[in-house]
Amino acid sequence: MNTNLKILNVTKIYPGCVANDNVSLEFNSGKIYALLGENGAGKSTLVKILSGVIIPDEGNIYLNENNLKLNSPLDAKKNDIGMVFQHFNLFETLSVFENLIIDSDDERESLREKIDTIMKKYNFSIDLDIPVLNLSAGQKQKVEIIRCLIRSPKVLIMDEPTSVLTEQETSELFLSLKKFSEEGILIIYITHKLKEVMQLCDEVAVMRRGKLVSVSEINNENIESLANKMVGQNLKTIKKKKTKTSSDQLIKITNLNFTSEDPFETNLMDINFSVNRGECLGIAGISGNGQSELFQVLSGEIISKKNSIEFNKNYIGDLNPQERREYLMAFSPEDRLEQAAIPQMKIFENVALNNFKSSNFFNNGLINENKIKEHSKKIISDFNVNTDNIELKSQFLSGGNLQKLIIGRELITSPDLLICFNPTWGLDVGAINYIHETLIKINEQNKSIILISTDTDELLKLSDKISVIHKGKLSKIMNSEEVTSEKLGILMGGAN
Amino acid sequence: MIKIVKRDQPSRAIFFFTPVLAIFLTLVAGGLIFFILGFKPFEALKFFFIVPIADKYGFSELLLKATPLCLIAIGLSFCFKSNNWNIGAEGQLTFGAIVSGGVALLFYEQEGFYILPIVILAGAIGGMLYASIPAILKTYFNTNEILVSLMLVYVSKLILDYLVVGPWSNPEGFNFPETRQFSDSAKLPLLFEGLRIHAGIFLALAAVVISWFVFYKTYLGFQMKVSGFSLKTAKYAGYKGKKMIILVFLISGACAGLAGVGEITGPIGQLHREISPDYGFTAIIVAFLGRLHPVGIIFASLVVAITYLGAETAQIFMQIPKYTGQVFQGMILFFLLASDYLLFFKIKFIGSKK
Repeated sequence: MNTNLKILNVTKIYPGCVANDNVSLEFNSGKIYALLGENGAGKSTLVKILSGVIIPDEGNIYLNENNLKLNSPLDAKKNDIGMVFQHFNLFETLSVFENLIIDSDDERESLREKIDTIMKKYNFSIDLDIPVLNLSAGQKQKVEIIRCLIRSPKVLIMDEPTSVLTEQETSELFLSLKKFSEEGILIIYITHKLKEVMQLCDEVAVMRRGKLVSVSEINNENIESLANKMVGQNLKTIKKKKTKTSSDQLIKITNLNFTSEDPFETNLMDINFSVNRGECLGIAGISGNGQSELFQVLSGEIISKKNSIEFNKNYIGDLNPQERREYLMAFSPEDRLEQAAIPQMKIFENVALNNFKSSNFFNNGLINENKIKEHSKKIISDFNVNTDNIELKSQFLSGGNLQKLIIGRELITSPDLLICFNPTWGLDVGAINYIHETLIKINEQNKSIILISTDTDELLKLSDKISVIHKGKLSKIMNSEEVTSEKLGILMGGAN
Repeated sequence: MIKIVKRDQPSRAIFFFTPVLAIFLTLVAGGLIFFILGFKPFEALKFFFIVPIADKYGFSELLLKATPLCLIAIGLSFCFKSNNWNIGAEGQLTFGAIVSGGVALLFYEQEGFYILPIVILAGAIGGMLYASIPAILKTYFNTNEILVSLMLVYVSKLILDYLVVGPWSNPEGFNFPETRQFSDSAKLPLLFEGLRIHAGIFLALAAVVISWFVFYKTYLGFQMKVSGFSLKTAKYAGYKGKKMIILVFLISGACAGLAGVGEITGPIGQLHREISPDYGFTAIIVAFLGRLHPVGIIFASLVVAITYLGAETAQIFMQIPKYTGQVFQGMILFFLLASDYLLFFKIKFIGSKK
């Protein structure tokens, strides 16, 4: 049976922003639809409306000509709309089976049979009786998908499903999705990754600032055209000029180990690498494989043995971040809102977090506000932060502007080495481009970068050398010309 | 029609307006309660809020009560501004009083200018020691400071009980639960003949100035602020976040300890069971009513101090239990929290045309 889902004139207004502005869309089963847009474009709001999490201010949703009133996620389920969220909603300590049947009234036995048939049909192999916490991200996602499939949905919505998956898991997911589609399930795939849209989908709807910009067949599009629609302007493509890097060694890590008492952290085992001046070392990996710990060890938040880190011919393993900054290192952590900046504090106060002696931010224990403000103004203008009010609390900056401020704050000291961790995570294409340009510029000035990132494309674009971290161990360091994203994917999955 | 709309950003004006609104609403609600109890609301409120401070003596009593409230609230503001929920100031006050009282008793019937400073210092140290318990447990063992600091209040009161009944009780005191009177050298000087207001008020004022300076003007204050918002950020910036937590607890304990000293070496002059009418708890209300700002805290401590006095007058003239004072304190906090809603939301009146 064909399924037809229609969204008609849906509007949802939040204070200060129109999340969905009169959006109308029509979907038919048998096809895979991509809903594409930058962060904040309104795609999440739209799918939350479809799954009953948010109630729209205006507009209607029709499933096979029936006007649906979706007042809660339960209503969506009842109407055969299934949704797999970006963040898993699973009980980690319960078994897979218990997670699957938790919202069902049917008998356990019949459910088990049903689940077994589903798993056989789609070639899923998951042990139903082990706790969910033992599963990989890809398996957890399958559990979520099975949970939807039990209800034999007409519509399946996937919200940014590949952000936690490896390349291999991603292609498995795509195969499953194509199979579902062939069987008549209408699939709506939300993403901001253009490559996936090209690979998987049949039709693509692009959203920008709450408005539907275009709906088109994928055959009529290519990555550039979609990117331009997404951003609303023509983007320049950034390419790094491969220059011959110097052989002048800047930082050398020798036999570095970190053992954590926290069971949720990853231990680092025998890390060895070095970075030369003017070079960018990329460290790839699926999140949670020790990147955060590696960043902290490099920044000095975790202290290690003095001679395990040699920077510019000094042993600095036992220094804290502030002391390391004096040796001209700079750090940009992954978490902008909880670590790199304090949203409740003003812009200039956040600038003062990068305090080094020659900055004179603090004299004799007193705050030198004028100096900090002067410095902040310079950062804002040099790094294109879109505000002129340094008294503004930084929570009112967009993600991209906040990241520019942070990178600016770190770079204004012209450090020899910048260590950054997922610098473009969650940013829109415009801001990503800006950050990438900035990072390339640093290398051109013969300064070095250690780029820890879960974004393979970013790594391939910016790095001179690449290594992969898996379960706290680094792979051998490769020249980035020799590396493909497939090869990285295999290494990220743990193979040699 | 009335519609409630989220504000784009919290309003600065509202931030200082809500405490005033809370006080106003407390007065209205208080008047209503008096009315239900069968009193004339305006007259009762007059007895409560105006009569007690209408004369010189009353005003001196107001300052006397406001002094410990202000001092403790200043200390607490360090904790609260950095997200450390020390609610055991009453215990720190008690323990500070115990230590300084002990030292004062050592100097029994001795004279000397050096005695008072030692006694005061002892009180501050006592409060700091007592506050260091929840601080250290929090930073090194991840315990919840709210529970620990609160429960330690009862411990300190029991210690005080034991001391004044047992080892420290006055040998000539006919077994009353109290110590000997301190010598004059161990007492804070009175400011005016015939009034109870004492030099402790200068300690409070000094605390106001110092706390403003430290928090807004120094690197130390900046580090405390950052550590309070996020320990991860503090670590990243290279600050010693854990030490900052302990430090704010110590500051807050010292202030509460000093308030304890002020009570026992001021109006009381000895140790006994009831050295504080829950100043340590009431100061939490003061701190928030004053928006954790030094100047705000001065005003808030005066406002809340009136409720203590008003309760007493109301008991004498209107035969209402003095616990009405606590009802008023509770209402202030209640209305303050309620009106804080306006910080993030605004009420829109939409004309009901059509």
